[in-house]
Amino acid sequence: MARGTSALDTMPVSPLARQTRGLLAILAGATLVFLYLPIAFLILFSFEEADTPGFPITGLTLHWYEKMLSDSGIHTALFNSIQVAVIVAILATIIGTMAAFPLVRGGIRFPGAARILFTLPIMIPGVLLGLGLLVFITLLKIKLGLYTVIAGHLVFTTPFVVLIVAARLQGFDRRLEWAAADLGADNRKTLRYVVLPLIAPAIVAGALLSVTLSIDEFVVTFFTIGPQLTLPLFIITQIKFGVTPEVNALATVILVGTLSVFGLGTLLLSGGRRFGRRGTE
Amino acid sequence: MTTDTRSGADPAPLAGSARGLRSRVGRAAPFLPGLLMLTLLFLIPMVIMLVFSFWRTNNDFDLVRDWNVSNYARFFTQATYIRTFIKTLIMASAVTAAGLAISLPFTYFLVRYVSRRLQRAVLLAVIVPFWTSYLLRVYAWQAILGEKGALNQFLMGTGLIDKPSTLFVYNDLAVFVVLIYVYFPFAALALYAALEKFDFTQLNAAQDLGARPDQAFRHILLPQIRPGIITACIFVFIPILGEFLAPTLVGGAGGSLIANLIINFTRQGQYPEGAALAIIVAAFVTVVLIIFRRSLRVEDVVTRG
Repeated sequence: MARGTSALDTMPVSPLARQTRGLLAILAGATLVFLYLPIAFLILFSFEEADTPGFPITGLTLHWYEKMLSDSGIHTALFNSIQVAVIVAILATIIGTMAAFPLVRGGIRFPGAARILFTLPIMIPGVLLGLGLLVFITLLKIKLGLYTVIAGHLVFTTPFVVLIVAARLQGFDRRLEWAAADLGADNRKTLRYVVLPLIAPAIVAGALLSVTLSIDEFVVTFFTIGPQLTLPLFIITQIKFGVTPEVNALATVILVGTLSVFGLGTLLLSGGRRFGRRGTE
Repeated sequence: MTTDTRSGADPAPLAGSARGLRSRVGRAAPFLPGLLMLTLLFLIPMVIMLVFSFWRTNNDFDLVRDWNVSNYARFFTQATYIRTFIKTLIMASAVTAAGLAISLPFTYFLVRYVSRRLQRAVLLAVIVPFWTSYLLRVYAWQAILGEKGALNQFLMGTGLIDKPSTLFVYNDLAVFVVLIYVYFPFAALALYAALEKFDFTQLNAAQDLGARPDQAFRHILLPQIRPGIITACIFVFIPILGEFLAPTLVGGAGGSLIANLIINFTRQGQYPEGAALAIIVAAFVTVVLIIFRRSLRVEDVVTRG
């Protein structure tokens, strides 16, 4: 590969530079392996026959997947997780998209402070968000439940939607809106038929991201949940009882599931970006 | 929300005083739900946590509202807390350094030597694990480091050891490796965004003018990607201050970090004690963010997903 690219290079390449490039290529390859190796072995172990998953592989089976599918504990946890994630995604997307407009287009008094307020929940460790909510809830004597989990997840998902939609709005060509107004569209129609369709990819990506973040969230859920279990909490109780092959199967399904949701989001966002660029040029 | 779009587009010609005021309020209105939500669910809870940290629990774990600083005094006088806090800082620094050491060559290679199209694909491959379940990514390491894991299998296969070792998991080294793994994508994204804007012909120019490669790297490249490096550091360092899953799952008995102590207090119903530790961490995080606020590029890491 090094030789192939160097032929395109007009600069003379010293032996040292070539060696560096080769070394870097090996390091980069090793890094990618490092990123995927644990996941690959986890998936492999989910098909392992033995009760205690691991090497040596004794045989391959779908048994753990069947067992997982019929486990009522998983059903309940999955249902709770989905319920929370869907409500969180809807609320975070609406609130976040709305907030992105004045953040980008002005109209608020302290834009700097507003930006900080919307990046803090992303930066601050979940332990602090969770404990803060828990003491607040304790003080108000509210009962913990799935709705307190939803409240907790909103805190960190909404800022992601804001940042994603704001990034899209930043590159938005306002002349399209003026054109719509010139052609007789009122504000509502401009928003409905011009602005929203153009930023739709970012909104959808934000919603999908909220779903995956919410489904995967452990820390904040841990602090804000009542007697119920969500999927990550279910998994950790299983792990603490001892590694069960069923968890490996469940983990594989979740990984593949979030990967597909994520892949869809990325496709939408990159497709949207390309379209947006064409639109503004 | 609807009133803002046109008046925002050309504010100058139309902005009479009454109209200007109305459009200003109209433009700010969509911000209100978000502001309310974060005030209620983020700012107020943080303030209440601060208040809690000055209260105490009695022997029956009931909350007693007498103001005192004993929760903080305990942090500074009992060796366990200080030691765990310092250990957390060391762990965070070590992981940050290692994360940079891995992601800088990686992203440098990617941006400089890989075609644009392949770059996107590789970057996607880096981001994908970043958005998948954090818990499962930590858990997956059991498959490598555990007694029946891949590492033992590999070492036995090469004949270096003759029976599976339990030494690879449940210690600080395992936590270190897993944390690098978990936070590497953050660092890579931040550095990629910075390197992408760098014009590499500058390095050639510097060398033409007589700089050695390492000098060109240090004096030309590093200063220009400084914000990226700082962003990478912050995105790795700060989450580790609140990290408790990796120590729990692969850290073993002595692997606790500061967040594990916070969780332990909470489990025992000792909210004021936990809140005091949390406030100390929060103060530390805030100071770091304030110091580096000008260089921090949150969007570079977040909006690429």
